[in-house]
Amino acid sequence: MTTAGGISEIEEEFLHAAVGMLGKGDGTAALESLGWWDLVVDLDDRDLRLAAFTYFRAQGRCLATSPALCTLLAQPFTDRAAFAPGSVVATIPRLSRRRGPLQLLVGDPGDRRLLVDRPGSGAVLLDRDEITLTPIDIPGRLDLYEVTGNWSRTAPAVPEHDAIPARDRSTRLGRVAVALEMLGAAEGALALATTYSADRVQFGQPIGGFQAVRHLLAWAYVESAAISSVARQAVMLDRDAPVPLDEYAKAIAGRNGRRICERALQVLGGIGFTAEHDHHHHHGRVLAFDSVLGTSAELTANLGASFRTGAASSPLAAAVLAGS
Amino acid sequence: MSYLGLVESPDPLHDIGAYSNALEGWLGSNADVLTLAAAAIPEYATRVDAMRQLMAALHADGWSRYGWPEAVGGLGGTILHRAAMWEVLSRRNVPGMALFEHLEILAPALVALGPTDFVADALPRFLAGEELWSQGFSEPDAGSDLASLRTTARLTDDGYVLNGRKIWTSWARYATWCLVLARSGTTESRHRGLTAFIVDLRAPGVEVRAIEQANGTDELAEVTFDDVLVPVDRVVGDVDGGWKVAMHILSHERGTFAWFRHLPLYQLLVDCSPDARSADDVALGNALLDLAAVTAASRAGLEVHASGIPMGPLAAVPKVLLCAAEQSVNDWVLATDPDLILDPFDEIAAVRRQEYLFSRIVTVYGGSQQMQLDTIAKQILSMS
Repeated sequence: MTTAGGISEIEEEFLHAAVGMLGKGDGTAALESLGWWDLVVDLDDRDLRLAAFTYFRAQGRCLATSPALCTLLAQPFTDRAAFAPGSVVATIPRLSRRRGPLQLLVGDPGDRRLLVDRPGSGAVLLDRDEITLTPIDIPGRLDLYEVTGNWSRTAPAVPEHDAIPARDRSTRLGRVAVALEMLGAAEGALALATTYSADRVQFGQPIGGFQAVRHLLAWAYVESAAISSVARQAVMLDRDAPVPLDEYAKAIAGRNGRRICERALQVLGGIGFTAEHDHHHHHGRVLAFDSVLGTSAELTANLGASFRTGAASSPLAAAVLAGS
Repeated sequence: MSYLGLVESPDPLHDIGAYSNALEGWLGSNADVLTLAAAAIPEYATRVDAMRQLMAALHADGWSRYGWPEAVGGLGGTILHRAAMWEVLSRRNVPGMALFEHLEILAPALVALGPTDFVADALPRFLAGEELWSQGFSEPDAGSDLASLRTTARLTDDGYVLNGRKIWTSWARYATWCLVLARSGTTESRHRGLTAFIVDLRAPGVEVRAIEQANGTDELAEVTFDDVLVPVDRVVGDVDGGWKVAMHILSHERGTFAWFRHLPLYQLLVDCSPDARSADDVALGNALLDLAAVTAASRAGLEVHASGIPMGPLAAVPKVLLCAAEQSVNDWVLATDPDLILDPFDEIAAVRRQEYLFSRIVTVYGGSQQMQLDTIAKQILSMS
């Protein structure tokens, strides 16, 4: 599929290579082959940053899983505390309405230590045997865990004054990464529906010949192009963005990602709503990532409020134009 | 020039940021002409005059010549200069390009495919607001199906003779020139028998009739051609090659024009914010997301055009995104301003009402939304 996000040849090549490797199913091995550990330590280099974030799009498309996200989230803390490169994964905080604050982990951490951030009292570092990982069994082919343990009295490995800027950076990087993973997962659903529309015959012709079906999928493509364009600008501008583009990227990825999956489901019909069909894994991955690091509902309302009160109404177009 | 290794000061020709900064400085010292163009003016003839004055000043001091080739009166540079000029102007409250829209729809095709001597004379006059342009594509029986148009061009010893009727011709009432797509081949020739002509709207046999629109403005017009003589050197592109010209124009109208058209929408959101309610924050957030998508996607379109590669079917994407943003922004504006529909006295409300109503029809012009979706399904998703 052609992309309308204007991605460069480097990204196109990287995306192609990553999809090729992830197609073999092993995300952890793909990270090694793609030189992930070299990319993630130098995110201030724009080309390396573009490549690193493109990985998440590929991972979403292939429904592959790896510790990439949690190593990315750990990186700003690693930079400040001088942990050994690649030795730490950070948990993802989640506030449950029913059960209070929780910690999640994506991908098997292997022998890496876990960084759990405690806003107000610094981040702690825990060995694998100090925590319990409980698999969360939801659609999405995500290697997803809830992390439990007793870290309330553990001395911080990253003191609060260092954790404050690391926390902010970590959250912003994480939002853009999951935006691209939602994009990839939604693109996968669109590809399934497009293929199906050419094969499924009703009224004597493939349903892809009916304009109602064609327009559903064309809308889904436009929605994917919107995520791609905004997320790419978030990666390109990074710290120079005049508005919180990470929030924009995450919000539009959640909103449009859900829309794309819904349109794909409509085209797939009943088969798309079965456990044997992959659609629910693509959809499930979008829904899972829309639920962490700020939901699209929360972020969209906050963006509106910040803009209305003048807190975040700087000219985006000027920055996007200048930051080629 | 740099001497002895001294660092050159930022050069507006090669540095878009430097160009924007310099233009902002200039606007600061030319406040009168800017204030006039930035005012809320519901009456079109007055608005047109204000824009002409602003454009004349921008041209006289060279700002609007950036982004156009030197061979046609420009100062060099790329479409990014033009993108930056309108970005700065919209941030200073200029409410849109209005009758200068065709600088970003028609003029790129005139420069690329038109007769150079003619364009070298016409483009500076257009930039300065002296002689404006319009686009004669749609006909009463040829809207989305452009290739079925019936206006004819017959070659005689004196030149081409045009007969027919164009409709929805934006800005024709204020324009001197019209780029007319007419049938030079047989009726059966469809898109292969079309030629693009530069027609002088002052010529005998041309009649321009303004169309009073549902939003109270009248920038659209019906233009009839009754034995209108067009010199043979007023052809853009090749004879019978009009479809290529049309595609060049539509690629800009859909692909890059989204950049120029979406900029004032940000300012509209800023202007309406003080009166908005927190209950509408989700709608505002969604409008901001839609706008950011246009900013990002049309930025990519500018880049593609600056590098000289045709955008092809991908131009449909910023077009569809622009329509969605224009509607969600105006939905929120309507929610914030109950006077918008009912107050006939306030000029700001009157202009917002015009814009709101126009946003309901943006999915029709420049190729209807259904045509854009068809293009995406067929040419991007490869649905057979």
